[in-house]
Amino acid sequence: MSCISTESIDVFFNAKSVAIYGASASQNSVGQAIVQNFIKPQYTGKVYAVNPKYSQILGVPCYPSLQDIEDPVDLVVVAVPARITPRVFEDIAAKGCKAAIIISGGFSETGPVGAELEDEVVAIANKHGIRIIGPNCVGVIDTQTHIDTFFLPEYRCGRPRPSNVANISLVSQSGAFAAAISDWTAELGLGISKLVSLGNKCDVDDDDLLCYLGNDPSTQVICFYTEGYDPMKGRTFFEMAEQVTKDKPVLVVKSGRGKRAAAAASSHTGSLAGSDRVADAAYHQSGVIRADNFEHMFDMAKALAMQPPAKGDRVLMVTNGGGLGVMTTDALEALELAIPSPSPELDARLHERLPSYCAVGNPIDVVGDTNSGRYNAVFDEAIKSGEYDMFVVGMLLQTPSLDMDVTNVISNHQRQSGIPFVVVSMGGGFTTKAGEIMELMGVPTYTTGEKAAVAAKALAKYGEIKYGKEFNRTLTNNKKD
Amino acid sequence: MSNLREVNRKMKVAKKIFKTVRDEGRTFVLEHEAKDIMASYGIPIPAYGTAVNANEAVEKAKEIGYPVVLKILSKDILHKSDAGGVKVNLKSDDEVRKSFNEIMENAKKYGVEKGVDVNLSRGVFISEFAEMGTEIIVGVTKDPQFGHAIMVGLGGIFVEVLKDVSFRLIPFTESDALEALTELKAYKILEGVRGEGPRDVDALVKIMLGISKMVQENPEITELDCNPSFVYEKGKGALVVDARILIEPSNESSTH
Repeated sequence: MSCISTESIDVFFNAKSVAIYGASASQNSVGQAIVQNFIKPQYTGKVYAVNPKYSQILGVPCYPSLQDIEDPVDLVVVAVPARITPRVFEDIAAKGCKAAIIISGGFSETGPVGAELEDEVVAIANKHGIRIIGPNCVGVIDTQTHIDTFFLPEYRCGRPRPSNVANISLVSQSGAFAAAISDWTAELGLGISKLVSLGNKCDVDDDDLLCYLGNDPSTQVICFYTEGYDPMKGRTFFEMAEQVTKDKPVLVVKSGRGKRAAAAASSHTGSLAGSDRVADAAYHQSGVIRADNFEHMFDMAKALAMQPPAKGDRVLMVTNGGGLGVMTTDALEALELAIPSPSPELDARLHERLPSYCAVGNPIDVVGDTNSGRYNAVFDEAIKSGEYDMFVVGMLLQTPSLDMDVTNVISNHQRQSGIPFVVVSMGGGFTTKAGEIMELMGVPTYTTGEKAAVAAKALAKYGEIKYGKEFNRTLTNNKKD
Repeated sequence: MSNLREVNRKMKVAKKIFKTVRDEGRTFVLEHEAKDIMASYGIPIPAYGTAVNANEAVEKAKEIGYPVVLKILSKDILHKSDAGGVKVNLKSDDEVRKSFNEIMENAKKYGVEKGVDVNLSRGVFISEFAEMGTEIIVGVTKDPQFGHAIMVGLGGIFVEVLKDVSFRLIPFTESDALEALTELKAYKILEGVRGEGPRDVDALVKIMLGISKMVQENPEITELDCNPSFVYEKGKGALVVDARILIEPSNESSTH
């Protein structure tokens, strides 16, 4: 399995002219919502509507067929009833378009009749070299080119924005999840490059997107939501992932941990297997990081997008609140990260630079009356010592003594050392703002110790995937007690 | 070149056996056939042979050396113990002779009970009674989404009760195999616990790699159980004691 051409996929994200087939003048219709997306000033390409009933929709010129449009059309968004899609595809072929997104449902997901219709459309597309996303999907959002086929009005479903630091792209089989992800990541302020909903995957599938996003310079982390694969498509995904994960982190949330497959098997091995355990092994073997749920996936993806992977598993927790330190190290330990105490030499140097009432260990508690200077001293010595591969920093801003320069201290040490940092900052409005500032400076910031630990674990896991034997693993499954 | 020839030879052993299996309308591979295939892939198995009558069984037993195990070999009997078709730890010529006859009687009875005309022409499978080691199960499943995967775990309660097994897609590397073992909760037993020395993990990894290669070159295998396998003290190797292989029916034969 190799990742040959991404050109045929690129047009879905970079189309300079888009036609909406089934564009509609009725309010609150799918055919109108999509037109609305493309008349926003951010989209700088050309947009056409296709529907024999109208001459214009919301000011967009409307044509009876694609062939009536004089200029070339790069991408066609199809939002017409399933039964007329074969006719629409004949028009797409005649116009010479090479990419179509079928939003409409009513295909293979509904039964054999719909499946036949889908086959018919695919046959036309194959004959004319047209790539298809869908059917039964919400299509794509590209936050940079502003291609947006999600038929969900923006006031109901927020749209994510790209970040200047690093971006995540997400691919979801489910349209509903794609919509929720759009809305959710917009709210979280996660930097997003592309969102794709694949629907029935009649043509473009997970492998195509994995290959494309693996080569996409504006995507730093690739995330998938899947419910399972077609026969042997798990294998091809595995083979593609093996090539991508060395260069870029790939995260997956897969539902269906059930045991359907087990019932059918006749042997001992078969009954113990079940697809999900095999899927788990496949992800692990190909360097794909599996997240238990979306929350974990976002926490991990944010860290992986903003920080370099860790070169080993030794974490130092630095905090200005003892409780936060204990809670976070508990979570780090549960995730099998090493939390070694400073060596006697490092311990001595830290004691020299910190007031005597600070607790030096792991965590290091610089206590409630700290200013950014104590953090600076700790990072300075700990980085020099080479005893740690990662820093988790508790930054509680309710105390009056902690100056905002702490964000500079953290981000400077991170950049100069190349060692990954993760920040935990619990609290309300002021803390949230500070967290946003911290992230603008490139360091991922979390609201709980548990979330920060999940992020730290992802950085270690990806380090292990990327560096292989070079990864300094001090803790193994069998050394943990 | 010699390497290629070697691959061809191994594949020929397997392909020839699979053809026989299919010609007889079976999807399961008989024990001596499974052992022939495994031997061709360098997977360690106890010395074995087949015998169609009691005299031959005694002769083979002497060649192999006592104690031995006798098992029914018939295309009509998949679960040998259920049919009274297994006799273990036989220590003399007399015991072998007696057991051979008993196995044949039991198989006939089993046939009558099940209303099947049991073919007894293949006689018995006879093999060295392997010394008990740490019990291991190694298996292969063909997942509809991901294809072939190996499963490994420690036998007995670890598999039956705790489901303490790990998986890797086939093919896999040596370090994948080792990692799959270290993932097991029971891995400590392989490292040596309660005064016992460490087990021969390298030998176990070699078995896993042999199976990986065998399945890769023979994708018509749909399921495989090496249960039990024994792994002995470090330096003393490992053995696949019992092997069960199922293949695809001929109509969905793979074109690889």
